[in-house]
Amino acid sequence: MLNAAIFLPLLTGLLSLAMPRRRADIVRFVALAGSVLTLFAALALWAGLDPAGGALQWRTTLPWIPAIGASYDVAIGGLSSALIVLTALLLTVVAAFSLRAEDRAHAHAFLFLLLGTGLIGLFAAQDLLLFYVFFEVALVPMYFIIGVWGGEQRSYAALKFFLYTRAGSLAMLLGFLALYLAMQPHSFSLPAIIAARPLRDAPFAAALVFFALLLGFGVKLPIVPLHNWLPDAHVEAPTEGSVVLAGLQLKMGAYGLVAILLPVLPGTVARFGWLLVALALISLVWGALAALAQRDMKRLVAYTSINHMAYVTLAVAIAAMTADGDVQRLALDGAAVQMVSHGLLTGGMFLMVGILQHQAGTRDIGRFGGLLGRAPVFSLLFGLLAFGSLGLPGLSGFIAEFQVIGASLVLSLWVAAVVVLTLVVTTGVYLRLLSCVLMGEPTAPPRLAPLSPRELWPVVTLIVLSVLIGVLPGLLVPAVNGASQLLARF
Amino acid sequence: MDLGAVVPEMILAALALVLVPVAGWARAPRWRTAPAVLAGLGVIAAMGFTAPMLWATPTEAFCGTYAVDPFRAAYQLLLELGALLTLPMLAAHFRGHAQEPHAPIAVLFALVGAMGLAASLDLGLIVLFLQMVSFPSYILVVLARTDRRAQEAALKYFIYGAVALAVMAYGLTFLFGLTGSLNLRAIGAGLAGADPAWVAVALGLVLVGYGFEATVVPFQFWAPDVFQGASAPVSGFISVVPKVAAFAGLLRLLLEAMPHGLSSWPLLLALLAAATMSWGNLVALRQRSLKRMLAYSSIAQAGYVLMAVAVAERAAGAFGAVGFYLLAYLFMNLGAFAVVAQVERAGGSDSLRAVRGLGRRAPWPAVALTLALLSLAGIPPLAGFAGKVLLLGAAIDGGMAWLAVIAAINMAVALFYYVRVVAEMYFAPEERATFAAPGAGYALSTVVATAGTLALGILPALGLVPIGLGTNLLR
Repeated sequence: MLNAAIFLPLLTGLLSLAMPRRRADIVRFVALAGSVLTLFAALALWAGLDPAGGALQWRTTLPWIPAIGASYDVAIGGLSSALIVLTALLLTVVAAFSLRAEDRAHAHAFLFLLLGTGLIGLFAAQDLLLFYVFFEVALVPMYFIIGVWGGEQRSYAALKFFLYTRAGSLAMLLGFLALYLAMQPHSFSLPAIIAARPLRDAPFAAALVFFALLLGFGVKLPIVPLHNWLPDAHVEAPTEGSVVLAGLQLKMGAYGLVAILLPVLPGTVARFGWLLVALALISLVWGALAALAQRDMKRLVAYTSINHMAYVTLAVAIAAMTADGDVQRLALDGAAVQMVSHGLLTGGMFLMVGILQHQAGTRDIGRFGGLLGRAPVFSLLFGLLAFGSLGLPGLSGFIAEFQVIGASLVLSLWVAAVVVLTLVVTTGVYLRLLSCVLMGEPTAPPRLAPLSPRELWPVVTLIVLSVLIGVLPGLLVPAVNGASQLLARF
Repeated sequence: MDLGAVVPEMILAALALVLVPVAGWARAPRWRTAPAVLAGLGVIAAMGFTAPMLWATPTEAFCGTYAVDPFRAAYQLLLELGALLTLPMLAAHFRGHAQEPHAPIAVLFALVGAMGLAASLDLGLIVLFLQMVSFPSYILVVLARTDRRAQEAALKYFIYGAVALAVMAYGLTFLFGLTGSLNLRAIGAGLAGADPAWVAVALGLVLVGYGFEATVVPFQFWAPDVFQGASAPVSGFISVVPKVAAFAGLLRLLLEAMPHGLSSWPLLLALLAAATMSWGNLVALRQRSLKRMLAYSSIAQAGYVLMAVAVAERAAGAFGAVGFYLLAYLFMNLGAFAVVAQVERAGGSDSLRAVRGLGRRAPWPAVALTLALLSLAGIPPLAGFAGKVLLLGAAIDGGMAWLAVIAAINMAVALFYYVRVVAEMYFAPEERATFAAPGAGYALSTVVATAGTLALGILPALGLVPIGLGTNLLR
């Protein structure tokens, strides 16, 4: 079933390439059907997961490159399966949203589905080399998506995105190779490396590997000095590209931090814990303040993503630095919920912004006003997403941020104070957005067409899920357990 | 006599000799492709006789001058594969050209020389076979075209080659003088007690020749002009066959004649590797001509390979990494050249602008070129990625983590110029119609090269198993 979930998108992607040339409608349908099937497979995985069964369920191990001890080794625990469901969900959302897209429909469908295979494989990979392969398989389609369907500066943005991530991932590859060579016998197997902790007695080598992996995951997350690609990529990407980029691709870095860096090098993460805390705080503040200064709505949402993902960095640092099991669990629970929640809310936010841009031809918040009276449904959804993103209780973002802030009290009151302060700033960001777009004098656009079903239902689904998690956090128990099971491994 | 040891070489040499008069007779248009087809069949037959040697017990033939071992078999198979992939696109490119029947003959002669170099254990044979690789290559360059640029390229190639190989021959005389033997293994035993300064001089001079063939900095200056001047299939051939042969010869020389890192060749080669990859990549960033860009790219690729050659004695996986990478390089580089050849033939230009909009006009060649370039850049799951993992792993394992870091930085930089071509094909607005020339030969070369690039990337074991046979058993 897990292998089906990984390769279904790829197979339907290839199938959609084989469809007749001028029939974009069939291609769209195939893509949607493939995404829905993947979603069913992911939900079946989720349902079949034993909450107490550890992080290696549904495992498949096949020899892949026997000469160097790399294998096709996939398995999932709670966190992975939650992210796989999120991936399949957003793939479906994107496929539904793109039902009308005509321009090079075959390639469009294939690239998104290929990306889905890369992401699901990445969240399931238990072999570092396989993880790396899926990491890049998820990266290359996004390059083409930005470059082919993007805005004016698409070529530049796509190149920047590719170069940044590639530089990070090559550093990560060197780190993986060092871990591989440190193992006796040499092995890329993640469970084996976590069990053996090969660099335990080599602090210098461990530090080098730590920084190599941090660079790889940090570019993707992004952590602030490495974030420069993100605003351009988001702004130039087509709407559905932004949804996947923010909703899923940032999770690649987050997942790497939580599921690879932390369990493999817990001691080293603790040693550089304050560095991570500092980076997280800088990212929090930077993301919030930069978002406050934006007029372009996509850029604004992009910067708040930096702010939101910094909670994951902070949680990882806390989990490594404290010995208290409850606090560790609290922090990692928060990180896990934040990954899912951010995927839902920011994915929805980018959809809304895309719809607005499509109708009004601009994303400048100064050009909008008074939408509340003219487009009540749109305004309601937009408002819900914004409130969810700023951490209103009752939606999923609150649960995540509350937990991480609570855990951060262990480190220092000051850390928690800074985090809360940035919460105030992000609240300001979203309230400004809402007041500019929904309130005030009705200006542009003169008319806003009612949301079509392919626009409405994806957004509604995302919001409903976010509310469900916010009201019943127990829904995510498997994911949360997954995070703490990772903890149990070190 | 040990003629059984040279069956593949004899097949190819005999075929080449027979084809010389045949090419003269084959003037009717429909007979003109006959030499190319015969050459292809001959190469396949030679491969059939080479392959069983992968399982042979290492021995020597002809009084210890010619090796019969799996190492030789593995590298000869690589060389034959390179020629086999070149022949179809060469035939397609020269279709209707006056020299159409002659081009495959030059390929065969160069191939025999390259194969001999991979097996030679004797200094005299090494000099002979190096010349035998080079001369047909000069001819191929000038055969291609009548325009001045091709002539200039051929002349440059010839003068550079003649000097480099002469310097190398001079270096080999030092080895003979120090040990009194022409045999690599006897030299290896004799050099242990020799004056290290003279050994270093000999090594430096010998590296000039191999560095020339393998485009190692600072002996690479000929490559960009020659690649640009020659027609694309010929450039593809020159970027693969002499290079693979040079690496085979270099490995054999270093491991047999200079064992245990004599005169610290590992460090020297590591520095050359760093210089080669950095120079190739940095200059490639500025190129507007596809063939010139691929020339610098192939210099950089040689640097990556040299990285594992430098740790050949220290890291268990280095040997397999070199062979595997050369196999991957063969597929991806020839795949790239096959598409460039099509574009060049159709549009008369190999500039970056010539591929603008190719993604819409000629989707399949564009996909093939994209895969080849991404593989050269080391993106998984393509052959170049698996090869680069092996090379980087070998460098770290051999205690040269610094070199692996330099290589990784280089790979990140290199992405820029590879991807620029991809962006030109898919992202740029179209200005004029860009086509790829039709031709079954192009299609055959492209399809095989692309299939190899994909297959080796997804299942590296396909290449690692034969390469592994060929590397574990040397000596």
